[in-house]
Amino acid sequence: MNYNKVTPEIVERLAAIVGARHVVTSEEKMESFSHDETPVEQYAHMPEVVVAPRTAQEIAEIMKLANAELIPVTPYGAGSGLSGGAIPVFGGIVISNERMNKILEIDYDNMMVVVEPGVVTNDINAPIAEHGLFYAGYPMSVETCFVGGNVAENAGGGKAVKYGVTGRYVMGMELVTPTGEIVQLGGKLVKDVTGYDIKQLIVGSEGTLGFVTKVILKLSPLPKFKVDLLVLFRDPKSAINMVPVIMSKGGIIPTSIEFMDKLSCQTSCEYLNEHLPYHEAGAMLLIEVDGTRQDAVSEDAETIGELCLENGAIEAYVADNYTTQERCWSVRRNIAEAFKVVSPHQSLEDIVVPIAAIPAFIPEVEKIAEKYDILIPSYGHAGDGNLHSTLVKNPKHSMEQWFDIEKKAVVELYEVVKKLGGTISGEHGIGCKRKPFMNIVSGPQELELMRRIKRAFDPNNIMNPGKIFDME
Amino acid sequence: MNIVIPIKQVPETSNVKMDEKTGTMVREGVESIINPLDLYAIEAGIQLKDRFGGTVTVISMGPPNAEKAIREAIAMGCDGGVLVSGREFAGSDTWATAYALSESIKKIGAFDLILCGERATDGDTGQVGPGIASFLDVSLATYVSRIVETDEKEIVVERLIEDGYETLAMRLPALVTVVKEISYPRLPTLRGKQKARKTAVPVWAAAEIGIDAAKLGLNGSPTRVVKIEMPKVTRGGKIVPAPDEESAVRAVDGLVDFLKSKDFI
Repeated sequence: MNYNKVTPEIVERLAAIVGARHVVTSEEKMESFSHDETPVEQYAHMPEVVVAPRTAQEIAEIMKLANAELIPVTPYGAGSGLSGGAIPVFGGIVISNERMNKILEIDYDNMMVVVEPGVVTNDINAPIAEHGLFYAGYPMSVETCFVGGNVAENAGGGKAVKYGVTGRYVMGMELVTPTGEIVQLGGKLVKDVTGYDIKQLIVGSEGTLGFVTKVILKLSPLPKFKVDLLVLFRDPKSAINMVPVIMSKGGIIPTSIEFMDKLSCQTSCEYLNEHLPYHEAGAMLLIEVDGTRQDAVSEDAETIGELCLENGAIEAYVADNYTTQERCWSVRRNIAEAFKVVSPHQSLEDIVVPIAAIPAFIPEVEKIAEKYDILIPSYGHAGDGNLHSTLVKNPKHSMEQWFDIEKKAVVELYEVVKKLGGTISGEHGIGCKRKPFMNIVSGPQELELMRRIKRAFDPNNIMNPGKIFDME
Repeated sequence: MNIVIPIKQVPETSNVKMDEKTGTMVREGVESIINPLDLYAIEAGIQLKDRFGGTVTVISMGPPNAEKAIREAIAMGCDGGVLVSGREFAGSDTWATAYALSESIKKIGAFDLILCGERATDGDTGQVGPGIASFLDVSLATYVSRIVETDEKEIVVERLIEDGYETLAMRLPALVTVVKEISYPRLPTLRGKQKARKTAVPVWAAAEIGIDAAKLGLNGSPTRVVKIEMPKVTRGGKIVPAPDEESAVRAVDGLVDFLKSKDFI
């Protein structure tokens, strides 16, 4: 791709658009815009200039400038992404949405909120809680991530079994196209089939089709009570078998059904000095139910617990207060940290398979781990079939060996996923990290359709280039 | 071995907000939990029962909803519980509380061992356990980190002291207050929760225990809260700017001198 460099003259023109104070060119300050949560040494790339506009108009002008001068533009939010989606791989201009951080409107009558993209997702929940509402579409990084990034990646999280992912809650948006038009899409409408649903095309497009400058999100009734069950099983199969049983036989849709394989729960328990009888467990499920009435929620938890014990669970622990709930969730939450003790060099994967395929997936992953002499714990959202299998470097291997192993092992992992009818990312996105592997799961016709859509929005390919797929 | 475990329901304080004007805790919406240190006593008690048989009974003095804490303890594996509750107990200090609990324990019946958490996270006094021991006139060991051995007549415990540990042998019945090192509390199970729901938890008022109401509550408490003072925050960081190498070296030397002056290095 032949892009032009950002010249001092272009920096000046950017300053004229957003104000000189909001243009960053010092290496030191730009460093934080060169990476997200993916490993810096593998994926980071410096921008040439970072701008922090305040309005859609300013962004439209930047887009027109970038189009005329053929300079790549990369949108940047909180930098909590896990696929390199916000990394300026071709340099150019990074547009940070940090100054577009206002909650514009809380509409209680319609149970919707209008926010700018730089709002921290969890900040939506504070003012609406006392009105008995919450925003349900949030990912695990809710306290740091921005709404704009959630929309770009169609983020999901631990509560997606019941509440779904970001896209379910995006009712409308304002978009600045890569050619500099400002478009209003959707509205405060629960139903809307007026033409193509472009807003849902933008959701999950990883910032390659435009810059979202306003989002209308649907709110949900805030559940008042929750109960968690930490259930120990002999093997992954008996654990995973519970997912359809809970929903069909139990008639309950839990908030979360989190899965941890043997390696994950053992490493996390040891790291936390948690003395649950994890040695006997071949897998664990962490199941949460929530609702508005305490007795109803407790009853649901009991039904699920009984079903688990009937179906061969070793033990079912019940956590219905903060202390015990924290204890259960910290086993799940600390898996990634626990493996950092083994090695900080990891590849956090985000595969998704049909739920019933998880038991077949686990032994295949174990084979790959054994072949390359690395650890690959698998844990994540069993209720969605979305597992964060994580390749952990063997400390005995050199970095060169590790990079080589990672590349090969990831391909084999993806091949397994494809064979099982799954795909390579459930909620983190493709970005630049998984772009080389798109052809494993997406055929040439599908990729060509995506390219045509991209060309229709962005004829000069200036908007977040180098992500998801290549144009040739 | 019959074991009694006095427990306290306390506010869950990890997410607690303080009212900056009054200096008190905002209790609204704060969940109540078993005092975290009591969980270690409960675990130690259940383990002794598993080894020697007998029963583990929890007892709590508090408002009616402290029943929840008792049921949670039963769900963990205790056999039963008693709630000591009534308006006459409100405002009791550690002396009155220890008195009321000791009289209640007498009513429960013969016991070999009383296990307490070392202190409660709200009051933070650590006085009620030893108070009960003195009212009941039984042997006492505080800060116990390990039960070395025990039989029907004697218990040998290791207790945490400032410079290490000391080992004490005591005649039973005895009261032991425990620290975190003693055990890893188990989680309540589904079967335990079901059992706890079916277990009757009697509620005893002063009249049922047969104690003198004049020795209870605010009037029966020798402690008087005269004044509550907020400690002044005297801690504060100091940032030494060091824009170049020379000033950085000077700043490091200054830091070393400071640490030496405070005997840290």
